[in-house]
Amino acid sequence: MHGDVAALSRDVVQDLIYQGFQARFLEGGAAPPGAAPFRVDIRGVVMARAMRHSSDGKGDLCCPGHLAPGPLLGFGATPLEFLRHLGRKGTAPAAARSGGSSWTDLRRGLIGWDGPPGTMTQVLAGAALAFAQRGQDRAALVFEEGSAMETGGWHEGMNFAAARAAPLIVVLDMARYADRSGKGEVDSVARGYGVAAAVVSKEPYPGLFGTVATARRRAVQGRGPTVIGMLPRGESDSAVLHDAFVAWALAEAGVTEAEVRTIERAASAGVDHAFSRLSREPEADPHDALVPVCAHEVPQPPWTRRTPPNPGWRAAGEPTEAYDAR
Amino acid sequence: MPAELPSQVTRTREGRPATFLEAIAEALWEEMERDSSVFLMGEDIGAYGGAFKVTRGFLEHFGQSRVIDTPISEGGFTGAAAGAAHMGLRPVVEMQFMDFISPAYDVLTNYIATSLYRGAGPLPMVVRGPVGGGKRGGPFHSQNVEMAFFHTPGLKIVYPSTAADAKGLLKSAIRDDNPVIFEEHKGLYRAPHCREMLPADDHVVPLGRARVAMEGDDITIVTYGLMVHRSLEAAAELARDRIRVEVIDLRTLLPLDEDAIVASVQKTGKLLIVHEDTRTGGIAGEIAIRINERAFEWLDGPILRVTAIDSPVPFSGELEDYFLPSVADVVTAGRYLVNY
Repeated sequence: MHGDVAALSRDVVQDLIYQGFQARFLEGGAAPPGAAPFRVDIRGVVMARAMRHSSDGKGDLCCPGHLAPGPLLGFGATPLEFLRHLGRKGTAPAAARSGGSSWTDLRRGLIGWDGPPGTMTQVLAGAALAFAQRGQDRAALVFEEGSAMETGGWHEGMNFAAARAAPLIVVLDMARYADRSGKGEVDSVARGYGVAAAVVSKEPYPGLFGTVATARRRAVQGRGPTVIGMLPRGESDSAVLHDAFVAWALAEAGVTEAEVRTIERAASAGVDHAFSRLSREPEADPHDALVPVCAHEVPQPPWTRRTPPNPGWRAAGEPTEAYDAR
Repeated sequence: MPAELPSQVTRTREGRPATFLEAIAEALWEEMERDSSVFLMGEDIGAYGGAFKVTRGFLEHFGQSRVIDTPISEGGFTGAAAGAAHMGLRPVVEMQFMDFISPAYDVLTNYIATSLYRGAGPLPMVVRGPVGGGKRGGPFHSQNVEMAFFHTPGLKIVYPSTAADAKGLLKSAIRDDNPVIFEEHKGLYRAPHCREMLPADDHVVPLGRARVAMEGDDITIVTYGLMVHRSLEAAAELARDRIRVEVIDLRTLLPLDEDAIVASVQKTGKLLIVHEDTRTGGIAGEIAIRINERAFEWLDGPILRVTAIDSPVPFSGELEDYFLPSVADVVTAGRYLVNY
C-alpha cells in the first residue's frame, strides 16, 4: 500500500529535511543533566508528518511513544520544548511532572505516552472513536514498541478499534525486541482483527510517507484501523537515514543544494538556541508543581509540609501553643 | 409523555416514586438528553439493556453511537473511554459488576487518575456499576472496590445510599471534570424501602459533601452505601435504650467530607465507623487517623469499627451472612461505645 507519494509535496519535503536536521542536532548535542539518552528514528518524523496537523485542536492526534522526539518534531514541537521536558525544567510542559519523553498538547494533536505498552493503543482507539462519532476528518496515530503485541492491553485496544472501525493507525516499532520481529506476525495479527496491515523497513521515505498517508485516508473513510510494523533498519545512525532522504530530495523532489544548506543552518541555530536557553531555565518548584490532581480544586498540602498538626480544640490550621513552644 | 420511553426512566416524570435503580437510569437518561457529549459504554448495555436493565431502551432512543456494547475487555474499553474524554466527550462506563473493574485497574490508576497531573488535561468520565454482597453472588460478584482506588490521587469515589442521592450524585459525577468511580450497592437497586419521590427539577447533589441521615448526640456512626440503612436500623434499636445516635452518610468517599465527621464527633465524643468492605485497609482506618489528627481531644472513647471479615465474599448464604456486618453487630458496638 505504498501510494500517495504525490502527497509528499515540496513544502513537506523541506519540512522533513528541517525536522530531520533538528533531530540530528538534538541527538548530537549534550543531553540535559539527568535525562535518559534518546535516539531519533527519522522514520518517525516522516510518518508523523503524513498526518494532518493543526494547532487549533482540530487536527489529527499523535502519541509519539518511545520514538519521541521524532514524531513530536513531525507534529511541529520545537527542540526547546523537548529539551525542557527531557531536562525536567520548571518551564517544561506540566512543570516536569510527567515522565517519558513526550508530553500532551491536545491543541497541537500531541498526547503523551503513559502506562505499559498497549495502554496508548487503548486510549487512542477511544480518541479515534470520538472522531468517528462526530464525523470529523481526523485520525489518531500511535507509536508502540513491538512488545505491545505481547500485552493483553494492546489486543484489547486493537479489538475495540477494529470492532468500531475507529480511524486509528498503530505503528509497531519492532526494533526493540527482536524475538517479536517479523513481517508475517504483524500481517497475521492484523488479519485476525480484520484490519489493514503494512510492514515498512528499507523503502525510500516517500514510500514510508505514502504508507501512513494511505492508512490515514482509509481511516477517515471509515475503513478502520491499520497496523504498520516498522522493522529495524541496518543503519542505526539516523544521520545516514537523513542523508539518504536529502539525497532523494535533491535528486527527485526539486529541492536545491542551497535550500538544503539554508534549512540546515536554520535547524542548527534553533537547536543551539535551545541548548543555550535550557541551561538558564529554572528547575521545577515542588510547591507549584505538585498540585493539582483534580480539576477545579486546589488540594491542601499535607500538614507535615506546611503546618503542624492541630489537636482539634482550635480551628483547623492554627498551631497550638504547646506545639509552638517546641 | 412519549410512549416509547422505557419505564425505568419515567417515574419522576409520572409523579411516582422511583427505586434506586430507576434513579440511576433517570440520571443517565437526563444527562444524555441534556448533553450530547455524554455516552455510555459497557458489556451488554445496549441490545440487552444491561445485566440489571439499567439501560433498557437506551439503545433504541439514543442510537449505537451513544450506547456502545463493548467487547468483554474492561481494560480496553476503559482506556478507550479515556481517549474519548480527551477529545471532549463524557463517557459513562458501566462495569457489569464492579468486581470486574480489576482488569482496568492499570489504566485507571496509571493513566486516567494521573491525566491532569501529567498535563494531559482533565478526564471527565464516570465508571459506574453494582457492588456489594448479600445477594449470594460469591467472591466475584459481591465485592466493594472503593479501597482499591481510594489511595490513588486524581480519582473521585462516590457511593450513594438513597435513590435521590444516587440520581443527584450521578448527575454531578457526569458533569464533573474528573474521573469518578461510582459504586451502586445492588442490594439497594430494587429495595422497597429505597423507593422514594425524587425531586422533579434538575436534581444535582454536589460531590464531597456528607449528609446527616439521623441526628443524635450520644455517638456518631459514620457509614455509607447499604450500611447507612443497617446503621439506621441499629440506631432505632439503640433509641429504645435512649441512646441517641447520629448517623453520617458519607455519600462521597473521595474527596472525604472530613469537616462533617469532625463536627459530629465534637458533638458526640464517640465514633463508630461502619462499612461493608473488609476490615484491613478499609476506610475506617483513614477516618480514624483523621479524627486523631483533628479531634483527638474531643474523643471520650476509642474509635471503633464494624466491618466485613477479612475474607473473600463466601458463596454459602450462611457464611455470607456471618461475613457481612449485621444490625446486631452495630448495636453491640454502639452499646459498648456508649458505656465506655
